[in-house]
Amino acid sequence: MDSKPSAEPVPGATRAPVPVKIVIAGGFGVGKTTAVSVISEIAPLTTEAAITSVAADIDRTGQVPAKTTTTVALDFGCITIDQEIKLYLFGTPGQDRFGFMWHDLAYGALGALVIVDARRIDDCYPAVDYFEKVGLPFVVAINLFDGVLTHDLADLRWALAIDPAIPLITFDARDRLSVRDALLSVLRHTLEKTGAPAS
Amino acid sequence: MTLPPEEADEPPPEPRPYLSAGHDGAVAVPDGTGVSGLRPYLLTAGRVEPVDQTLEIEAQVVTTEFGAASYGQLAFEARDIVSLCATTLSIAEVAAKLRLHIGVARVLVADLAALGYLVVRRPSFPLSQDPNLIERVIRGLEAIR
Repeated sequence: MDSKPSAEPVPGATRAPVPVKIVIAGGFGVGKTTAVSVISEIAPLTTEAAITSVAADIDRTGQVPAKTTTTVALDFGCITIDQEIKLYLFGTPGQDRFGFMWHDLAYGALGALVIVDARRIDDCYPAVDYFEKVGLPFVVAINLFDGVLTHDLADLRWALAIDPAIPLITFDARDRLSVRDALLSVLRHTLEKTGAPAS
Repeated sequence: MTLPPEEADEPPPEPRPYLSAGHDGAVAVPDGTGVSGLRPYLLTAGRVEPVDQTLEIEAQVVTTEFGAASYGQLAFEARDIVSLCATTLSIAEVAAKLRLHIGVARVLVADLAALGYLVVRRPSFPLSQDPNLIERVIRGLEAIR
């Protein structure tokens, strides 16, 4: 090509928005994919594979009936905030063996939502440990699978052993507005932490 | 599903253009990629690190005028990426839409950006700590009904 290549985006391409992200974490089958799909404006994109046979060994199927697929790689959606900001939601695999991905996902995130199934709260420990370690603000959200909170929130907070300053909320991953409010909790918590004078 | 997960992640191989066009003078595969059973990083000649090692998976990618004018000369995945990014997408979306391993997509996007086919808009990390930005995101979410 004789002319100097133009490094400008193609004409008509919209100016690239600033990407921001929130990480959605938690164990197998806690509702990460559901939460992303009810609020994303695009059909959630995923590298998820149906791993029924593998999940049969890993999931405690007696306590988590009818879960036939689970996230093994990464799924995500996005929300256009305004003309300049696009919010990405990345659902992270909750298992230790996928820990190598977490840095990529968590670095630069506005915050994280750790989704918990109250019937097996220990599944969220790796995520909580990780976010505590890297200092990423996070909120713990109990997914009300049947609309019922089976345990007292104070008991759950004790069992989770999280700092009293960390918000512990309940939500329904199938309900768009409930997911929106959970994300708002994350952002308000982040704002509190960043708004605090640096020590 | 009995395949191990990494096998299961492999999409069914797409027929490459040259397979059906072999009789009318299709050229040999220049980069040595096959049509099935590929290890994901074969597409990047085995490199796992992008030329820019810190490229974020949410970074926004858009084709340049140069890229739009000349992507026809590129092969396979590179051509697909430059063609796809006529509208702005994140690297994660590029990977999902083209069924590439996300790490592979990152390497290829970084290469194509270095060659001038794409421009990448990266997130600004001081900005992610910016209360004004967070408040804008809050207002945007509150508008969801």
